[in-house]
Formats: sequence, structure tokens, C-alpha cells
Amino acid sequence: MRVSLDWLSEFITLDKPAEEIADILTMAGLEVEAIELADDDLILEVNVTPNRGDCLSLLGIARELAVLTGKPLKMLPCEVKGETEPGKKIEIRDETLCRRYTGRIIKNIKPGPSPRWLQKRLESYGMRPINNIVDVTNYVLVELGHPLHAFDLNTLKGDSIIIDTADKIYQKIKTLDGIERKLPEDALVIADTEGPVAVAGVMGGALTEVEESTTSIFLESAWFKPQSIRKTSKALGLGSESSYRFERGTDLEILPVALDRATCLLQELAGGVPSKKLDAYPVKFTPARIETSPGRVNRLLGTAIEKKNMISILDRLGFSPEEKASSIMVTPPSYRNDIEREADIVEEIARIYGYNGIPTALPSSSLSAEGIGPMRKFMRQVKNVIRGAGFDEAINFSFMSPDALDFLELAPGDIRRNAVRILNPLRKEESLLRTTIIMSLLEDLKYNLSRDIRSIRLFEVSKVFIRDEGEDLPREPLKLGGIFMAQKTYRFWQKNGEDFYIVKGVVEALLDEFRITGRSFEKCQEPFLHPGKSAKIVIGGKDAGFVGVLSPVLKEKLDIKAREDVLVFELDLYMVIENLPAVPVYGPIPKFPYMERDVAIVVEEYLRAADILKLIREYPSEYIEDAVVFDLYKGGKLGPGKKSLAFNIRYRSGGKTLTEEEIDSIHKGVIASLLEKTGGSIRQ
Amino acid sequence: MDDLSSIKQSFLHELSLVQGIAGLDDIRVKYLGKKGVLTGKLKTLGALPPDERRSAGIVLNEMKVLMENELALRKQALKNRELEKKLASEALDITIPGNYTPPGRLHPLTQTMLDIIDIFSAMGFSVEEGPEVETDYYNFEALNIPREHPARDMQDTFYVSDDVVLRTHTSPVQIRAMQKRKPPFRIIAPGKVYRCDADISHTPMFHQIEGLMVGEDISFSHLKAVLEAFLHRFFSPDVPVRFRPSYFPFTEPSAEVDIGCIFCKGAGCRTCKTSGWIEILGAGMVNPRVFEMSGYDPQVYSGFAFGMGIERIAMLKYSIDDIRLFYENDIRFLRQF
Ligand SMILES: [Zn+2]
Repeated sequence: MRVSLDWLSEFITLDKPAEEIADILTMAGLEVEAIELADDDLILEVNVTPNRGDCLSLLGIARELAVLTGKPLKMLPCEVKGETEPGKKIEIRDETLCRRYTGRIIKNIKPGPSPRWLQKRLESYGMRPINNIVDVTNYVLVELGHPLHAFDLNTLKGDSIIIDTADKIYQKIKTLDGIERKLPEDALVIADTEGPVAVAGVMGGALTEVEESTTSIFLESAWFKPQSIRKTSKALGLGSESSYRFERGTDLEILPVALDRATCLLQELAGGVPSKKLDAYPVKFTPARIETSPGRVNRLLGTAIEKKNMISILDRLGFSPEEKASSIMVTPPSYRNDIEREADIVEEIARIYGYNGIPTALPSSSLSAEGIGPMRKFMRQVKNVIRGAGFDEAINFSFMSPDALDFLELAPGDIRRNAVRILNPLRKEESLLRTTIIMSLLEDLKYNLSRDIRSIRLFEVSKVFIRDEGEDLPREPLKLGGIFMAQKTYRFWQKNGEDFYIVKGVVEALLDEFRITGRSFEKCQEPFLHPGKSAKIVIGGKDAGFVGVLSPVLKEKLDIKAREDVLVFELDLYMVIENLPAVPVYGPIPKFPYMERDVAIVVEEYLRAADILKLIREYPSEYIEDAVVFDLYKGGKLGPGKKSLAFNIRYRSGGKTLTEEEIDSIHKGVIASLLEKTGGSIRQ
Repeated sequence: MDDLSSIKQSFLHELSLVQGIAGLDDIRVKYLGKKGVLTGKLKTLGALPPDERRSAGIVLNEMKVLMENELALRKQALKNRELEKKLASEALDITIPGNYTPPGRLHPLTQTMLDIIDIFSAMGFSVEEGPEVETDYYNFEALNIPREHPARDMQDTFYVSDDVVLRTHTSPVQIRAMQKRKPPFRIIAPGKVYRCDADISHTPMFHQIEGLMVGEDISFSHLKAVLEAFLHRFFSPDVPVRFRPSYFPFTEPSAEVDIGCIFCKGAGCRTCKTSGWIEILGAGMVNPRVFEMSGYDPQVYSGFAFGMGIERIAMLKYSIDDIRLFYENDIRFLRQF
């Protein structure tokens, strides 16, 4: 809310510099965000929190300053003369939504432009002057915080002003902005005997608008239920200075004051003969009675504020404190509808006492050994392993474009098509929650490539969101995703070999870190990966992710010109957690030495190293401890369709030192078995 | 025995001229071998009268020991020299970089979050998690933000359905923690939050850390002390901290917490909009209504809650002037931290 200090000084004497006033307000909860210089005036930009609707006016700000500085509030001069019979009656048909409705008729009024001083004040607030009648209602709105509305009397049919919900009768209205609107059934409307003339508290009707030709008006000052106004305003997409205040709750008791104040100003600026006031007040204001225990206030605040000090604060706030033996009975004024229970009183005392006067005390409480917990510890470890492999951490928005699903060529039944849809996305490209991290990482890759960055290793750890039929909330699996592209770089130590193995190695390093043993890499069906250079990551027999080269088709669709492969991986981290091994149990360290033998065999190219290793490990000899593949060779004299794989086999006995002869004989057996089962030959 | 001293002279001279370990053997043979010079002398001992034989024997033996020692010393010296030569020939250009994979960097938001979590963890706070897609109940209702409450305007919400939203803050984790735990407890809940807002200073997704401490006698004084301790640890022990009244539906009293501007030291600059203060977090005593809705008796329990935006804190920490940099994932940006 914009507060002109010049205007504010009509309500309270300001004898302090603007900065000091701003500081006083800020430290009491009315944050002054800026002080603006305007001609010979200073404007405070005050941030009024939603609970303090009473401060959306100069009166409200002045009231706060009076409490904080001890200066008295100034009363506004107002005396309404010459009261005639109104000739209208008020008919409130919904007393819950409209607890009070006041109004009066003013005849022989002359619409015209407002005087410059009034226009300037409206401008200081940020309002556009229209004509003296509308301007006066706005002027009083800023002054007292109470919205008023003026109808052209001659357009109001019949002798009743009806306040009712739209329901079946008042379905449509053409509002001041000239738009024909369909009203929600529970919207509150003001109607005459023929139909609706205003959407209560939100916007007037076009038919009853005050114009240059207007000679008489009906001036409304009413109270509407905040929730109802807010609902209607949201439903119609209409917000105004009036609805903003009604939503935050207005003062039931100020209605006639605001009406009189506006009447006085109108008589001064536009002439006119006012009628007597109409005041329908079916549901009277009943002040809250709140008992407050000073001991409890001090216990909650950690203070030792004396009871009489509390009473003084509450008195300055206008809360009419009554001292009881061990408590204070408080009756908050009608404009403080935010004060409902003891906690509100505690806040008021703390606020006026000053937060900075409250001492600090570190809490003592039972020790907690939980720390950051296993989940956070796990995530830190994951990130550090991947980071150690040279990957920088990316963080992307959780959104995904609906096009991404087709772009990745996901099959119709793919679970990643079960994405959560946002009803009100900022852009269509951000209208789904992502079901995979890969698309975001591909976009990161594009972004960096277009900036001439040639070596890209990025990873991200994030939840993805999978919609489950019949469930309110989606599943939120935790994924680790990565992307890798190494173009020629001027590093001294050059990499060699297939990038696939580098990236697969990163995944293996991670699984090793957590000692995940039951794992394998199987042929992968991901439509967006190179079928021959990709693998499904299987943990504990379940599909836990993938690693591989992006398919050439997608690479072309992404318009990536570079020759090098793009590699991606994704791993379900919850599946890693599920397969974490138990605490290791110590096993004795071998007492006897091992012996090694190497063998290279030439086999058909399609045979897999893992399968041959399996043959070795399954060979019926208790002495085979381990076997690894250490070389792969193709081409040369081997001829097409063939490859040579070299294995190192380690033999050991648990009970004795094996002799060369014993090993040679087992090794020979292993080789014979391998050649037989693979149809291969020994490499010469 | 004059010729003995000349033998010693020529032995030492010849020894000093030897350049290889092989040459040492020649000298050993020449002087100490079966037909060596000194061996020859020793053989003549028998021809001497017994009284002279003894003293001459001592002298000759001393000479033998001396020669053997000198030979050994010379051998060690030559060996050392050969080793030095070999090592020198093997020297590498040590300025060529080591063969390693340069480690990647954690995102600055992650680093900031880890720092904050560690400080609170050291103060006994446990980490709690909650879903990012939340029900309206946890995100709003249970936090005393009913439908048609103006406080809903404080947050632009992404809706999935009428009753399901992308959480607009980490505060729903407060409610989940209260349902799960028994007081006293203290928790923090870091995570992603979403608001339907994107401009120069807002991104539709950002990060928050929520805190909640509940017990039987938790006061505003405790809130002040814990947050001051955190801010002093995170920024610097002498950064000024101020608490001013504010409003959050789920706390009462509520506070906005400011630190003295770390750039201008309070003098006023662009970052602090000339005020000398920077808003850093929101906090307050748990609203009794929130306790009631979660089945806690506010006459028995009290507590405080706080929340802060990680982006804002990371921007202050690293002097980053545009929030959007966090989500572009430009490697030249990521590698700076
Ligand atoms: Zn500053």
C-alpha cells in the first residue's frame, strides 16, 4: 500500500523524518519496502501482510503509529446536514454473507472533475481520477479502508435494494467494464426489483454506473463475508481495490462513519442533498473476549515482561484490557478481526514490545543421534563417486514437454508415459513432470555444445514422477542420470577405446562403491539408444536403468553435428538402496599363494565375454578362484566375424600350495572345455 | 719398512684413478691377491727373526685392513655415482600434468544446502523428507491456509488437480513430521518447491530448507538463539541479525529475519535496496491451530518453525547476481564452485 506522508499527517502528527517512520513501521510488522519522493511529498511503500486488512488505509497506518509513538489520532471533521427520507428500503436475503448494509440517497448532485488536490492524492496512491463522485468513494477507501459504491439512483428500479446470492435468479450481469458475465451461483449480488446491479464487493454493473448525466446517487457502504468475495472475485477473474479489502475483512462498525465521511466530501465537491442513513444490521458485531495469562505469554516468548507492561501495550492497541487475578481479559476492537485467540495476543505483545528486546537462549533438549540420516548420507556418497569420475552436477527443473515422450520414441505402454500433468503450466514445454532425467540432460548438452564447450560430463540426482492409476499422489522414484560427450580436447593423456566402457565404468564404480554384487549388464531395448552400444542395468534380477550411446537418429534430431558419440545413463537409486548388502562378515585371508595362467581364444564375434567368464567360473575345479578378461582383439589375421579374448585365471587352494604340475593340468582342462563349448581355437 | 709407505702411496693413488667397479678388482689383485704386493711382503715375514717378525706382522696387517677399507669405501662411492647417473638419465618432465580425471563439481545449490544441513545437524536437527507433489491438505489446509484465504495469494500454485498441487513450500513436511514423530524433536526438511512464477528474480522451481522444533517449553527465545547461531556460523560470527514481525498463517508470532548487508556492511547498496539489511528467512512459533489439526495439544506443546530459500543464500554466498544461472547448467558456471 502506498502511503503519502502528506495525506497521512491529517490523521496523526508526524514529527520524525521519513526514514525513522519507515523503521518504526518495519520493526512492528508493516515493512516499508521503499520511500519514494513525489513533488513535495514522500510516499512510503508499505507491505501489508494478509492478516492486517485493517492497515490497508491511512487510518490503519496512523493507528499503528499512534500505538508505537504515543501520539494521538486526529479525528476527521464530518457533519452531515439536511437529512431527508430515503425512499428506499434494504433487504438482506443472506445475513451470513452480508451482515450489515448501510446507504443513503444524495439528490441534486453535480458530477464533474475533482479538484486538483484530491486528484493528486489519488494519484499518490496510484489511482486514476474519474469524476468527483467516484473519486470521493476511492478517497474514502484509501483514508478509512472501507470500500464504497455509488449507483445512479435513477437506474435503480423499485424501492428495494436487495442483497442475495446469484442462484437461479441473478445469473448474468454486465459489469462496469462493459463485459456480460455469468455469475457463479454462490456469488453475492446487489439487485433492484428487476435484476442484479452489482457483483457485491467486486464490481458495479454497467447499467447503474454514475455518469456525467447523473443527478442523484445511491451510496452504498456495506460489509461482505471475506471468503465469499474472494471466491467470486477468483471465479470471475476480477480483482479490485474493493475486493482486495473485503477479502481481508473489513470493519463492521465503520460502515456509517465511511458513509458520512463520503457524504460530507460529496456535498463539498459536488453539492447534493443527502437523505437519512439506511442501516440494515441483522448480525451485530460481537467482540471476542480472550483471556490471556501473562505467565504463558512470557513462557512462549522466553521473556519476563511485567503484567502492567502487557496491560499498557494492550491498552494502547485499543484492546480494552481488564486485569484479573492471574490473567488479563482482552476485548479487541471491531477493526482487528485477526485477533481470535491467546496466540494472537502473544504476538501483539511481542510485536509492540519489540522482537529485538526478546532475549536469546539456546534450547536444551534430549540428544539426537539421527544426524543427516541414511538417505542423505547415501545421496552424498553417490554424488561424490560420480563427481570423482569427472561429472559436474546439474540441477534442472522437474518439468518436461509432452513432446519429449515422442521424441524419445517411448512405446505406448512405457511407464514413462504416465506423466503427471500440470493444469496451469507456465508454458506447454513445462506442462508435465518429468518421468526421466535424460531429456533435461540432453537439453543441457545442447546448451553447452552451442557455447563451444567440447567436453561434457554432467549428472543429476532427482526425483521423477510416475502417475499411478487410482492414486492421489504419484510415485517419486529417485534417479541418477548422466550424460557424457568427449570431443577432441588438448589434454596430455588421451583416452582410448570405446566411450561406452568409460561410462559403463562410472556406473560400475558406483555399484562397487556400495558393494552391489548381484548385477549384470544385459541387452537393452531402449528406443533412444544405439542397440549395439547400450545395456540394461540389472540389479537383483530387476531392471534398474540403462547406459549407452544415444541412437544416431536422436542425435540427428537434436542436430548434433559432432562425430563423437553422446552417452547417457540412468539408474534407479532406490533399487540400489534395496540391494545394499548387509554388514560384511569377516572371512579369513587365504594362507596359500595363488598361481596365474593366461589364455587367449579366438571365437565368433557375437560371443560375449561375460558368458565365457561364466564358463570358466563354472568349470568343476575348486581351485579356480577368479577370472578376468583383459584383452580384446579384432581384425588382422583373425579374419571377419572373429575376435580374440584373453583371460587371466587365478588358481588357489585353501589347504595347500599348488604345484606347477597341478595347475597346468587343471588349466589344460579349462582350455579344452572352453574350446569345446565355444567352438573357438587357441590364439597363436 | 720405507717401501711400505711408498706401497701405500701408490695404492691410494691408483685407487683414486679407478672409474669403474671392475677396475677395483684389478687393484685388489695387484695388492692383496695371491701374488699381490702386500701378500708378497707377508710371505717374507717368516724369514725375519722372531722379535722383528711380530712387530712387522702387526704393521703389515694394519696395512691390509686399511687397504680393504679403502677398497670398500671406493666401491660404495663408485656405486653411488653410477646410481646417480642412472637416476639422472631417467628424469621426467615433472611439469607435465598428472594422469587423472579432474573431479566434477557439486552444484552450488547442493554445496550451500550441504553446508546448511551440516550446521543444523550439529545442533541436533534430523533430516526429514516429504513428497514434492502434495495434497492440498498438507500444503495448505493443515498449515492453517484454508481455501478462500488471502494467504493463498502469497504463493502462486501449480495444480495437478483440485486437491493435488506441486508443493509451494517445504512446510508440509512439518505436518508429516508431526504425524510421524513424538515430541520433543527437531527436524529440517530440505527440498525442491514450485511456484507458478518466472521472471528475472523467480524460477518456477527452487529450493527451500524448512525447520521445526517441538517440545514442552520451546520459546521465541530459543527460535532466536538457534537462528542466530546458524546465521553466525554460515555467514560470519559478527554479522548483525534482526527479527521483525511478519505474517505466516502457520506461525504465531511470526518473524522475518534479516542480516546486516554483507556487501555494504549496512551502509546501503543495490543488493540490500539501500536498507542495509537483507531478508534471509521466515520463522515463528508454531500456530496453535496447526498443532490442533495435527492432534497436538497446544497447552502442552510449543515449537518454532523456520524456512529459507537456498537460491537466495547461495547467491549471497557466491555473489551470483542472476537466479537463472543455477538452472542453465552451463559447465563454465558449474565448474566455478
Ligand atoms: Zn548493502
